[in-house]
Formats: sequence, C-alpha cells, structure tokens
Amino acid sequence: MRYIFKFPDIGEGLDEGTIAEWYVQKGQQVEMGEPLVKMETDKVVTDIPSPRDGIVAALYGRVGETIHVGSPLVEFDLPGIDGADAVSEVQKPVFEPVNEEGAGVVGTLEVADNSAYLPPTDEVAPTPTAEKPLPRRALATPVARAMARELGVNIDLVSGTGPAGRVMKEDIENYVKRESSGHYPPYQTAASTAATLNTASAGGGRAAAGTVVPPASEAFEIRPLSQIRKTIARNMIRSKQNAAHMTVFDEVEVSELIRIRYKYKEAFEKEGIRLSYLPFILKATALALKQHPVLNAELDLDNNRMILKKHYNIGIAVDTDDGLVVPVIRQVDEMTIRALATAVNTIAEKARRRDISMEDMKDGTFTITNFGSIGGQFAVPVINYPQSGILGIGRMVQKPVVKDNQVVPGTVLPLSLSVDHRIVDGGEVTRFLNKIMEYLGDPVSLIIG
Amino acid sequence: MKIMNMVNAINDALDIKLKEDPNIVVYGEDVGVEGGVFRVTEGLQKKHGADRVFDSPLAESGIVGTAVGMAAAGLRPVVEMQFCGFVYPAFNQIISHVSRMRNRTRGKYTMPIVIRVPYGGGINALEHHSESMEALYAHIPGLKVVIPSTPADAKGMLISALESPDPVMFMEPKRIYRAIKQEVSEDSYSIPLGKGKILHPGTDVTVIAYGAMVREVQKAMVMAKEAGISVELIDLRSIYPIDKELLASSIKKTGRVVFVAEEPTAFGVGAEIMAIANEEAFLYLQAPPKRVSAFDTIVPLPKGEHHYLISPEKIFYEIERTVKF
Amino acid sequence: MDDQGKIISPSHLPEISNELLIKAFQDMLFARTADQMIVSYQRQGRIFTYPPNLGQEAIHSAVAQVIKHDDWLVPAFREMGAWLAKGVTLKDLFLYFMGNETGGSFSSAHNMFPVSVPIASQLPHAAGIGYAIKLKKLDQVVYAFTGDGGTSEGDFHEALNFAAVWKVPVVFIIQNNQFAISVPLRMQTVSDSLAIKAQAYGMPGLQVDGNDFFAMFAAIKEAEEHTRTGNGPVLIEAVTYRQGAHTTSDDPTKYRTREEEEAWQKKDPVNRLRNYLIDKKLWEESREEELISQFRKEIDRIFVEAENHPSYPLEDVFQYQYAEMPDDLKRQKIEHERFLEWSRSRTKKEVAR
Repeated sequence: MRYIFKFPDIGEGLDEGTIAEWYVQKGQQVEMGEPLVKMETDKVVTDIPSPRDGIVAALYGRVGETIHVGSPLVEFDLPGIDGADAVSEVQKPVFEPVNEEGAGVVGTLEVADNSAYLPPTDEVAPTPTAEKPLPRRALATPVARAMARELGVNIDLVSGTGPAGRVMKEDIENYVKRESSGHYPPYQTAASTAATLNTASAGGGRAAAGTVVPPASEAFEIRPLSQIRKTIARNMIRSKQNAAHMTVFDEVEVSELIRIRYKYKEAFEKEGIRLSYLPFILKATALALKQHPVLNAELDLDNNRMILKKHYNIGIAVDTDDGLVVPVIRQVDEMTIRALATAVNTIAEKARRRDISMEDMKDGTFTITNFGSIGGQFAVPVINYPQSGILGIGRMVQKPVVKDNQVVPGTVLPLSLSVDHRIVDGGEVTRFLNKIMEYLGDPVSLIIG
Repeated sequence: MKIMNMVNAINDALDIKLKEDPNIVVYGEDVGVEGGVFRVTEGLQKKHGADRVFDSPLAESGIVGTAVGMAAAGLRPVVEMQFCGFVYPAFNQIISHVSRMRNRTRGKYTMPIVIRVPYGGGINALEHHSESMEALYAHIPGLKVVIPSTPADAKGMLISALESPDPVMFMEPKRIYRAIKQEVSEDSYSIPLGKGKILHPGTDVTVIAYGAMVREVQKAMVMAKEAGISVELIDLRSIYPIDKELLASSIKKTGRVVFVAEEPTAFGVGAEIMAIANEEAFLYLQAPPKRVSAFDTIVPLPKGEHHYLISPEKIFYEIERTVKF
Repeated sequence: MDDQGKIISPSHLPEISNELLIKAFQDMLFARTADQMIVSYQRQGRIFTYPPNLGQEAIHSAVAQVIKHDDWLVPAFREMGAWLAKGVTLKDLFLYFMGNETGGSFSSAHNMFPVSVPIASQLPHAAGIGYAIKLKKLDQVVYAFTGDGGTSEGDFHEALNFAAVWKVPVVFIIQNNQFAISVPLRMQTVSDSLAIKAQAYGMPGLQVDGNDFFAMFAAIKEAEEHTRTGNGPVLIEAVTYRQGAHTTSDDPTKYRTREEEEAWQKKDPVNRLRNYLIDKKLWEESREEELISQFRKEIDRIFVEAENHPSYPLEDVFQYQYAEMPDDLKRQKIEHERFLEWSRSRTKKEVAR
C-alpha cells in the first residue's frame, strides 16, 4: 500500500528546508530509522530517518530544491496492509511546532482602644436575614434608560415586552403615547411634592407605589387600586384601543311586554322566582344573534379571520361593591323565560353575596348592560372585548307615542347598541337592533319563530 | 468569647491548627523566636516546638520553594512573606510551582500551602512596605487569594485556609492589625473561602470593599446616611474565587455599584468587578459601575501618602455621584 | 577507570557485584537506545522537542543502582536513566514529550517529582522535602539534579543554604556537561570548580569523573551514606559532556568544534564500561547486538502505544486546577461547551449543504 511521508517540522516553527543529499533511491528497501535524506534548515542540518519499513516508490525533489514543511517528501510501498485498515494505519496525529525555551520593625500601626470593640460575627451561627420585598424595577439597557429619561418617563412604570420582560424602546414610546392623553401628571410629580423624599428625582424617577406616601391633606385623598379596579381599567382601555366602537340608539314601545310580564309575575313569585324584563331581553337578543351571527363573533386579526360562535352565552354586567363583574348565562337560546328568570335571580343572589367566580364569567359571546335599572336612558357602552357587540338597556320611561295617528301615553325602553365596526357594518347593526325591537315590542313573536 | 484584634485572631487560628494538625509547620523570617515583626506568631514556637515553628534564612524564593517540597512530602507549610513588597523574589516559585504542581502532576502532588502576607498602606512606612498587589495573585490560575477585614473573619478564614487542599495567599491588611477589636469565639470555626458577605443591607447602591477599606467605607456610610442614601455594603473577602453570585444579586437589586480598594486602578481587582457588573447585571444598571481606587503610581513615601490613600470623604463623594447619575 | 576501561586507581574502586555491574551496563544501553530512538522519532515529526541524554548515562545509571524505592528524585530534565529506575514508564515519558500532562505527572513513580522547566527552581523543593523527611523521622534520601548552568541561579544558592542550615538528607548532583545550551562553563562561573561551592554552605562537595561508572557509583554511595545517617546534605559535581545537542532544536555546530566533540567521545561512559566488562569476560559484543535489537522492538512498541493514546479531553484542561472546581471555572467550561455545540451543528449544516 502506498504511503506518502511528508516533510515534518523538526525544528519548531520551521516552514521549509533544502535537500542537501539523498541517501536512498527509488526501488530501495529501507528500514525504519534509516536516514533517507539530509535536509538543510534555518536551525539545523539534519538527517531525516524513515518512519517505516518499506520500499522507496518515489522521491519528491532534487538536491538543492527547497521543500515546504508538510509537502510530500518520499513515497513508500508499505508491505501488507491494504484498504481501509491501511488508511487508519497511516493516520498520524497532526503536530504543531513548539517553541524552544533557552530560566518591624517598620512604620506605625493604629491601635484600638480597649473600650470599643465589634460584636461577634454572626457567621458561626448564621442568622437568616428577612428581606422586605422590593418595588418593581424595570429591566432595560442603558440606551433605553437614557431614552426614558429624555422623555421624562419613569421607566419602572413602563411594562416591558422584550425578552424576560425587558423594557424596549417601543414600550417607552407606546407608554408616552398613552400617557399623552395628558390629564394625569406623571407619578413623580405627586411624589416630589412629598417632603420625605430627599433623593433627587432625575427625569426617570425611582420610587414606586407603596414606598412613598405624601402627607395627608385636604387637597388629596389617596386610594390604592384594587385588583378588580386594575383589571377593569386594563380591559376598558384594551377594548377601546382595539375595537372600532360604533353605537346606534333606538327606542321600542313595550306596553305589550309590560302586560305579559305583569300577567305571569305573581305566578312566578309563588315559585320564588322574581320575573323582571331581563329574561325577555335576553331571549330576544339570543334569537336575534342567531339571525345576525356577526354580532356573536370575534375578530382574529392575527390569523386574518373572524370566528362566528354557534353558542349564545350572554353576560350580564353587574355592579357590585367591588366593581363591575360580568357573569355569563350559557346557551340562552335554548332556555325558556322561566329558566332565564331563575338564572338571573341566581346571579343577583351571587352578586349580593359577592360570590361570583371566574368560572361564572367565562365563555361569554355577547354582553348586556342594564344601566337603566339605576338610571340613564342612553349611553355609549364599552364593548366587552373581544366580543363584537354590547347592548345597553336604559330606564323605561313613560312618553307620548304615536299610535294609529294618535298621540297616546306609552312606555318606551331605550336601547344603546355598541358594536365593533371592524366586522359589523352599519346595515347589520340596524337590522339586528330592529329584530330585537320586534321581539320586545311583540313578545309572542319570541315563540312564533 | 474573647476580645481580640486581628493579630490575636490570626495567632489564635495558627495555635489551634498547630495543635490539631501535626503536619502544619510555620516558618519565615523572624517568625520563630521573635514571633514575627508584627508579633503575629508570638508564643507559637514556645508552645509547639522549634521544629514546627521556626526562623528561616533570608530568602523568599527559598522559603516558598522549600514549602513546595514540604507540601509534596505531606506537610502543610504556612510561610510568611514579611511584607507584600518582598514577595517578588518568590513570585517565580508561586506562579511556576505552587499554583501549578497539582495540574502538572494531575493531582499526584498537591500544594496545601498558606502564604501569609501583610499588605497595604497607611502605616507611614518605607518603600515596599505599603504595596497592594492582590490582583497579580488573583490572576494566576491555581491559586486562591483571600483578605479578611475583621478579627473574627481573619480567624475563621485562616482556619479554612489551613484546611484547604489548594494553595492560599492569605493577605493581611496590616493597617488594621490592631485598629479593630472584636469579640471572637475561642473555639475552632471556619469561614468558607470563596464567599463574600453583606455587612449591611441597603437599597440604593452596592458598595464592594475588602481588607482595611471596609472600615473606611463604613465611615463614608455615615455621610451617606445623612444624605439619605441607603448603601448595601459587601465585604468581598475572597478575591479569587470571587463570589459572583452574591455580587450579581446585590447589583441587580440596587442597580448601582461602587468598588473601593487601595490597589492601583488600572487592570486591578476593580476591573474584574466592573466586568462582573456588566456581564451579570447589564439590564439592571441605573448608573455606570465605578471604581474608587488608588492612582496608577508608586505608593508615595509617608509625607505624600495622604494624597494617595482613599479617604472616607472621597468614597462618599463617589457614592453620591453614582446615586445622582 | 581510564578512557579504555582499565582501572587505574584500585584503592578507590567501590565494592560492586558483577551482577549489578552488568545490570548497570544494560541500563545504560537501554537508556542510550531509547534516547537515540526518541531523537529519531522527533526528526520523523512524531514527538516534540526533546533533550537528549547522550553521553551522560553513567551518572544516571549510578544513581539508578543506589536509589531506594522510598527515596526521592527531584529531576531537572536530563536524567532519563535515573527516572526509569525510579518507576517512570517509557510510555509516560513519551506522552510527556508528545505534550500530555498525563505522561508528565509520572503518576506510577513513587516519590518522583515532575520535570522542572524553570532552571534550578526545583532545588529548594528538594530542601523542603528533606525537611519533611527529617520532621517525620523517615529513612529517606532526596536526590536533586541540576546542570552547570543551574548553579548560577539564585535558587541553587538558596536551596543549598536552606538544606545545610536545616541539615537535611539531600544529595545535590550537578551534571556539569560543559554547556548551558551554547554557553560554555568558563562563561558560567570563574570558580575553581562547582563542587568547591559546597564549602560556602558548610557541606561536603565532591568532584567526580561523571563518565567513569565506578567513580560515579562510589561517589553516590558515599554521599548517600553520609546523608542518610543525618550528617546533612552533600554536593556532587559530576564532570561529563553533553554529546548531543541541548535539545532537538539546537545546532551545536554553531558553538563548538568537531575536535572537541571527538576528544570527549574518547571518554564515552558506555564505551569505557563495555571495554572493562569485555576485558573481564563479563560481556560479549554479540550479546549486545541481540539485546539492542530487543530493546528497539520493545521501545517502538511502547512508542506506538503512546501515539495511540486517546485524545486530550476538554475536562483535563479544567479539572486539575483546584481540588474542587470553582463555580466561575465551571461556568467557563460550560459556556465553551455551548460554543462547541453551536460549532458542531454549524458544521453539520455546512456538510448537509
């Protein structure tokens, strides 16, 4: 098998040598260790011995020629091994050149007084240190911090959308945009009126909620935010920022509804069910949603689609001591007026007991807000995002109405319907509202179909 | 419990371990009969014998070199370099052999050697008696470098060093040899090497120091407190291995770091702290990390030393500038 | 012995059995054979820089015959025959000069220090070992080597001083082979001899013909007895000649003459002892040929084994710095491994393309 012996680096860092004399010739049998050639290099003149027993097959170079380290020098015919074994036999580890190497009395010391000494170290019996939890600090690069400072923003108040919650430049920009609705002064102004804070508040500020309490005065009452309040605030702004709110107002004459309700009211009360107008409104809404599915839908912009829901779970906005909650009644379309009345009662009871759970509020597809029970005729309700519409019920009032060309006293229910104009167009909105008004104006139509 | 200064504490640690471990020998110039020029080894020869605690010829390279042989042969030598400025003749033995023998012999021979060096300035001394070159030793792979700041720490850390299988440069801040007294337990106890300590928790800025400078920082903290600045003071204690975890968590908490040392500034221990602050706490930093350390000059002789030494006021000045950034 | 191997001073001839003598000679042959083969391997590019022992074999063989299992050997770097006697394996030696600490640790050799690269810095180590021996009241002797160049280093002076003051059992052996790389003895010192320096430390000094096996053997034996019995250290100057180059990268033709080399060749230690043995009918040339051929086969076999030693793992770079790897060092290693992962997958992608 053929083996090419390359000129090795024998002098540590050499890169070439000159052939001074060949000791062997082609065809000659050589033994391992037998000198092959005399090489002249910068450092030494030396004989290169054969690495192997074998027959010289070829010599690479003439006397006087310069060979580079690593270039072929002599080719051998080695006895015996062939093929793959041969290759591994010949595989030599690569060597790199190695560099050769040529081998008080004085002062004054302060002395402590015997009366003053430190207490013993706590390390022998280590004591755990209880640490107070610290206020939130933003993660941010120096560049982002500089930007925040320039814009007069307290970076610790900006929520971060970057890796590991890092505050990015866009977050600061967005924060500024939101804040520039302008009516609230930045937090640090309130803080800096407090005499207790001594550290200079450079633009960025540092203190966060809970650590700075301005002195009580007639000018302010400070009320910390509850979890619900924070959630409501977050949801409201999210809804307004995302949905293209459009509201349609109308009134429906409901004398017929009043008569029917009155007719069944006592019978229901005997069963312990309080019958209000809400069950009728719920039913009307559900049936109208069935016919106008885009009002019971959700816009999924990320995937370029809208999701039309085939279940009709209507939430009812309830005002509690803690704030606004929206418990949901599921599958309203399949429920009878009686069942709906029961459900409404249950919700009212739970609300009184402050017992409305997260479960109760899940899976809503549409929302009704009955502010009229307290007061007000019309409003521009905020959609319960990500739903597409919300129906606001105002206070029933007695008004003169025109019937058969005559002006007669009537009772009118005001309706305010807000929709997400991104997926609900004007025509659909009004058709939907008309349907509801049809049902409420003529309740029997709820069962006629 | 006994009230001790650092000299007593070191002496106590040596005394306890000399009794406990028959392989420990203590030697160096003047450490035997005289008990050391600072009296740190006073009384030990009388107690433990002149073959355990003895004077050596005046040859630093020979002192450390013979320690290498002793360690390989199963002893635990504790050698004293009389002053930090005189370690240099032994530097070859330290970097060529003390730090490398374990690696060179793949663990066949190990170097459980403690090299004790009084270091640091502020004692009105001659040339070579005020050096602070701990960074040089911290940069050598295979060595450990520790520096106590109180008597109790000195005792516990020295006992750990005397039990360590690795070589330890135990650098003693001579300026506070006698300047601090403390109640110290008379028992044997050890403080693990490689760990720093939060001496004083705080929220506005992390101040890192070691040795004699801890006391100076504490003086600066009085001024800081008046200015309403809450300082978290960390005693580094171990230069190598450095307690990165402790430093990182503190700097992340406060967002600011000031490093105080008496070493010359360029390429020193402080440079490593700056790297750590950036590598571990980049996103948390509210101000550039700051080194407060000596000029890159030779330590001036006593008449000029006051220009050179870092005062508590200077430390406060830099703390305030960092907090106000 | 004279240059021809004839005894010229019978009163100084040490007591030594024929068996031991023949063994000593064979040790010298083996060492020389191995030494020459290593130089050849180096020229083949199969091993890195190597310091040949050629011409100094009698010194090493003399120590080899005297040194006991529990005695210590603190080498410089040119004492192969003595290392082998102390238990250093040829394989370890090859691995070391191929560039692997696994070999250089000399792990299988009891009380054997590793090669010392900074000249003479190992001498204080020997003094320290001597102190430990004395403190523990052990029956051990330390043999410490250096060259003529090493006597100029401060550590030589400090070590001898410490050893003498502490009165410890160390035999300091200077192999005066006339050169420190290219610097001849006359430029190293103008002292009358190197052995005389012992006087300054209050210890006995011997100057010996290092190429006369009998003289070396006698000197080592005398020094050993002196020091083992608690009389303190001894300095031996073994006068010899470095027949080879300083290392395989050195070219002696630059600083010495053929004439000088040939003159010293006449004093070659192996030849002298051979002549003596043949003269005394204790040895035959034919025996030597066969023996050398056996040696060559064995040495080559071990060399190839060393060549096939597994490759240097990443762990070995890290795990011997401290008893327990500090966290920071662990992290450095892990981060590098992460890089290697990235590099591997990158190569895979390249290959896939």
